[in-house]
Amino acid sequence: MQTTVVGNYPKIPNRPSPARYRNALNKRDRGEITNEDLAQVGDEVTVEVIQEQTDAGVDIVTDGQVRWDDDQTYVARNFKGVNIGGLQRYLDTNTYFRETEITGDVAFESPSLVRDWKFAQENSTRPVKAIVPGPYTLAAHSLDKHYNSREKLALAFAEALRGEIDALIDAGCKHIQVNDPVIVFNKDDYPVFKQAATRLLNGVSGAETGLYTWFSDCAGILGPMQDLPVDVIGLDLVWGKKNWDALADVKFEKKLGAGIVDARGTRLESPAEVAEAVERLARLMPAERLIVSPSCGLEYLPRETAFEKLKVMVEGARRAEGVPA
Amino acid sequence: MVTEQTQQANSKVGSAGTTLTTTAVGSFARPAYLTKARSEFSQDKIGVDELRKLEREATEYWIRVQEKLGIDVLVHGEMERGDMVAYFSGEKGGNPIKGMKLGGLVRSYGNRYYHKPIIFDKLEYPGPMTVEMWQYAQSLTERPVKGMLTGAYTMVEWSFDEHYPSRRDAVLDMAKIIRAEVEELVKAGAKFIQIDEPAIHTRPDEDFQLAIEAMHATVDGIDAEFHTHICYGEVEKVYTEMIKLPVKQIHLAFKNTDFAYLDLMRKYGYPEDKDIGVGVTDIHTRFIEDIEDVKNGIRRTLEVVPPERAWILPDCGLKTRTVEESEQKLKVMVDAVAAIKTEMGLS
Repeated sequence: MQTTVVGNYPKIPNRPSPARYRNALNKRDRGEITNEDLAQVGDEVTVEVIQEQTDAGVDIVTDGQVRWDDDQTYVARNFKGVNIGGLQRYLDTNTYFRETEITGDVAFESPSLVRDWKFAQENSTRPVKAIVPGPYTLAAHSLDKHYNSREKLALAFAEALRGEIDALIDAGCKHIQVNDPVIVFNKDDYPVFKQAATRLLNGVSGAETGLYTWFSDCAGILGPMQDLPVDVIGLDLVWGKKNWDALADVKFEKKLGAGIVDARGTRLESPAEVAEAVERLARLMPAERLIVSPSCGLEYLPRETAFEKLKVMVEGARRAEGVPA
Repeated sequence: MVTEQTQQANSKVGSAGTTLTTTAVGSFARPAYLTKARSEFSQDKIGVDELRKLEREATEYWIRVQEKLGIDVLVHGEMERGDMVAYFSGEKGGNPIKGMKLGGLVRSYGNRYYHKPIIFDKLEYPGPMTVEMWQYAQSLTERPVKGMLTGAYTMVEWSFDEHYPSRRDAVLDMAKIIRAEVEELVKAGAKFIQIDEPAIHTRPDEDFQLAIEAMHATVDGIDAEFHTHICYGEVEKVYTEMIKLPVKQIHLAFKNTDFAYLDLMRKYGYPEDKDIGVGVTDIHTRFIEDIEDVKNGIRRTLEVVPPERAWILPDCGLKTRTVEESEQKLKVMVDAVAAIKTEMGLS
């Protein structure tokens, strides 16, 4: 059994610790430091959040997506045919992302993620998982002025994102997570989602690939998802309670990214609660196919709470395995 | 304290007798000296009295601006509030609801962070939270000033909840708190009370009925004119239920959606016993709309609702704009209303 995070990690700690990345962004915006200076702070904070995940005992870490404003724009802004538009509310949260405006054919030009991944892996004792936005979600959260078709746009994004994935694998990345949560809110669109995910991942080898969802459940589509060319399926078992029944109902043959610690609430779970959830899952599938994680990215929580939650998560997972933490 | 002057003022503008009543949505930009003072106050460099003095100065400024422009129903500008939920949940200098506190910083977008509140215990009313500022603002003017509150659903939705077993339990307890504050405002003489619910359409299928129930619990049986502000989000998904909210007026950000809500009103109707608050200037842009553009929006509105039932306002609070931009956005709104009234021979 392994433990991981679902991508992002809070960028700044609370007082009295300094909010270095926030301050650096402000200074850059005021012209007091250069983009290179900001990138330097981004690197330093990345090292810091990798260290925190490692200290908490997480097996597969990420770079915390420290440099990302949101999942929607960090990679897509570098594609041809994409402009950055206005703020939109992100699903059922009180956070916002910038919409991508599609003004022409979407195409990959050069990798956005390889440099970040290499830097993170060089500064981590644990394997670093790369995060790639999902083609269906990118399409659903775009203002499409060009294709006038969700399907065509999702496939164009898949094609472009494949460029990122191939580049990550060439660079030696062994864990790739695709974030495609919007499908849980638009299950009728499953055929489009499936085509896009297939185009993105078909024939990929050399890395473990995962497709992660959150905020709701995959009941009704979890069966067909077994046919996707992906190794791990990530489910939110806190905000998507129906995932428990769905897991019991289907023949689940993938590895399960088991989101069992609430990343949208500050109430701290106990290690016993985590262990109980893990044991319940271990009755449905072999424990070695479980990758325990928070329910979604940790950026909805204050930094200190996120760290505490990761510690509890790891302790609970170890307890369920019968291993001293 | 209810002054005779206040009562007279409030009775001048009601839903009867006037057309295209103008108002603002809630917040205005803070002048630089107040932003500085709030930062100093947060670091204990100045005391609460000094802060209050400057908040009042800024409030008076905005009351005078609105009077000078000829706005009918005023807002106090929320100079004392950092955030519409956090103000009631532990912002320094406020009177927080018992059972709430501010948590650590979380990011809302870009480089913007806020202290997201936490419900950590049973919610209890702490005594008046907004009455003193309302009384002060109302004492400055003969025009009515709206009491401004955040609705129970939004209060809970935008907080972490570590205490209640369900969202429903938390929202209904929160409604009791907001109701207690409504009662205090009414006791003090407020005739118009705006209860903002910008989060109301967060989970339209799952619990829109809960939001409606909470509004009933907050206002039913209380003698005041209630308005609610609902901004952005997928209004079309909740429209037919939303218009059942037990308030006299619902405001929507019409300008931001190029008046698409008019189509909903045409298609599904709009209750005859309700006024509609029509946002005619976009608060997310620096650019000041051309008067013809604003007039055109009002004209389009009047194809669907009579002028007696249309209130004219900006799309949302103006705190993200500068002082100058806010004033210009209000001015073009007021000028457009005056021009339309002349054109149409309205009183």
